[in-house]
Amino acid sequence: MRFRTRLALAIGKIIGASSRLLNIGGGSTLPGRVARRMYPGFVPSMVSGLPLGCALVTGTNGKTTTATLLASILDRAGLTPVHNRTGANLMAGIASALIRESNLSGRLAARIGLFEVDEAALPAAVVDASPRLVLVNNLFRDQLDRYGELDTLAKKMKTAINGMDPAATVALNADDPLVASIGYGLEQKVVYYGIEAAGRYASATMQHAADSKHCAECGAPLEYEYYLFGHMGRYRCTSCGRERPRPDVFATDLEMAGMNGTRCNVHYPGGSTAVSIPLPGLYNVYNILGAMAAGLALEVDPDIITGAVEEFTAAFGRVERVETGDRKILMILAKNPAGFNEVIRTLMTEPGRKDVLLALNDNIADGRDVSWIWDVDFEMFRGRLLNVVCSGIRGWDMALRVKYSELQQQSLTIETDLEKALDFALDKVVPGGTLYMVPTYTAMLDLRRIMVKRGLVTPYWEG
Amino acid sequence: MNVRIGYLYRDLMNIYGDDGNVLALIQRCRWRGIAVEVQDLALGEPIVPGRHDIFFMGGGQDREQVLVCKDLADVKGEAIKREIEDGAAALVICGGYQLFGKFYRPFDSDELPGIGVFDAYTVAGDTRFIGNVVAKSALGGKSGVIVGFENHSGKTHLGERCNPLGMVTVGHGNNGEDRTEGAVHMGAVGTYLHGSLLPKNPGVADFLIERALARRGHVPLRPLDDTIELTAQEVAIARARKTH
Repeated sequence: MRFRTRLALAIGKIIGASSRLLNIGGGSTLPGRVARRMYPGFVPSMVSGLPLGCALVTGTNGKTTTATLLASILDRAGLTPVHNRTGANLMAGIASALIRESNLSGRLAARIGLFEVDEAALPAAVVDASPRLVLVNNLFRDQLDRYGELDTLAKKMKTAINGMDPAATVALNADDPLVASIGYGLEQKVVYYGIEAAGRYASATMQHAADSKHCAECGAPLEYEYYLFGHMGRYRCTSCGRERPRPDVFATDLEMAGMNGTRCNVHYPGGSTAVSIPLPGLYNVYNILGAMAAGLALEVDPDIITGAVEEFTAAFGRVERVETGDRKILMILAKNPAGFNEVIRTLMTEPGRKDVLLALNDNIADGRDVSWIWDVDFEMFRGRLLNVVCSGIRGWDMALRVKYSELQQQSLTIETDLEKALDFALDKVVPGGTLYMVPTYTAMLDLRRIMVKRGLVTPYWEG
Repeated sequence: MNVRIGYLYRDLMNIYGDDGNVLALIQRCRWRGIAVEVQDLALGEPIVPGRHDIFFMGGGQDREQVLVCKDLADVKGEAIKREIEDGAAALVICGGYQLFGKFYRPFDSDELPGIGVFDAYTVAGDTRFIGNVVAKSALGGKSGVIVGFENHSGKTHLGERCNPLGMVTVGHGNNGEDRTEGAVHMGAVGTYLHGSLLPKNPGVADFLIERALARRGHVPLRPLDDTIELTAQEVAIARARKTH
């Protein structure tokens, strides 16, 4: 291994160990950032030591859940993945994962790399990691202030993917028109996945938080036979005839059971299997389908894949169930309108009125612009809420959203301090009841930190 | 007493939470016992004179802006301009704001004509102005200040016959040079501010509603309890100053 790589690796390891010792965070991005600054070729050099290459997972919603499930699949298959587990999904996070998993001479115990990658970082990641597989799950408007327009983002991703080794594979969500369009005309092998025969889950009307309403090829409006979630569904261009590709891996016979998950049949070339998905909502059906499609493309046995799915507990922070005394907490992350709508929709499939804590931050990782909350259909909560607590740095903005939606809640309290808000909200929950917390990303980290302090969950860098 | 809102191109120009502005107008009327009607004004739909009291248009991607520009030129533009001269109110955001000026000149494609409600024009810039904005504004109500979030690369310049909505103390505003933000002409308000704008700036919302009602000779609005609105505004202002 090159000297420069070894040196960058050594420095990275020291930084990682120090941050853990000093308890200033799990070292999930700083070591990598420094190593890459010291040696820009750090990541390519490190991944060249992986006998089975790399797989990249990207998309707006569900990256961490999909990547974590895929990691579990690969692990069970004996492929020993190195994975940027904590959702640090920019290049520094990938580099940090490689630093953590290798010994000082640069030997990785892993055989395959599995990295969750932020959409904007995908082009750089493709160049550095030369992946054998890229999975694109969906493209929604997210963090309006970080990205320009979705079309531009998709073009950049397509260009990067086009430049991959021709023997590589791309797994794409057929039900998302912009994502599916990435597959048109690619030299690489394309595996499409999606939902077929959606039955009662198919809707004739598009939800509010939908993007991608026009054909990526010719710009004409798309016409939908049905919608499933946001702009996902079965679509056709009204002008050039392009339509939703037939998926190679698809789910049928869906039976959704609210917060308890979904049962369905998953079909793939050569067979099919009944699957019990332990995570709620249609959005998680896509996450699981994506991970399964990727696992199959990496030649993992279908039985191993199904086993991994059924035993999967969601990645930290995405869906967390906690018991505290005689009450329960269910925390579900929401980062953008499409994701938040799915959370609300799924919560509302459970009967009864709910106590909720809505936590809105506007740190860089959450997105500085909070305008997006006005695109969330909070009106779905109307008449179904007991006590509402709005918290986080921009808790007052969230309270405004609640006020203008006229949700007819029993009480509305605003407390920007998350710890005070958590205690206040829990206090209002009847014994045996559940507090539903829906935070944005950094508010989730803070709430998690509070719950760790109280011994309710394990610290994330141990998880 | 009722207020009729004409929602311009809802399906095309609505990418940024700007819908919250229409919700704010609706509720602030309803909470005062004023009935509200919202009519969608899509491509091809003509404007009936006197039929709408407040027009609204949000922001959109470049592709949508071209379609809208054509429809304004062919179908609605002249009529909207006459309505505003006749006293109708309007709120137009970002891309919508640009099209209410005289023209928008992109880098390397044809100039898009606007409808000329505002004596202003926009030129594509090479940097994107993104971030929280605080501006002193006569429409800022009690605090005298409005707050929002901008994200635009177009630079808008106001002519002599056009007043700005505000003067920025945090953020870039119309063009990053003269500290103006937005534009006001009679009852029409144009701005680059998302947020959405109206929920945290009830003074602007009430200005629009008052204008809408004044055209038909109605009485001034009774005040609402804006505690949450104004606290949210304060927090946003502090946040803007801190993250600037």
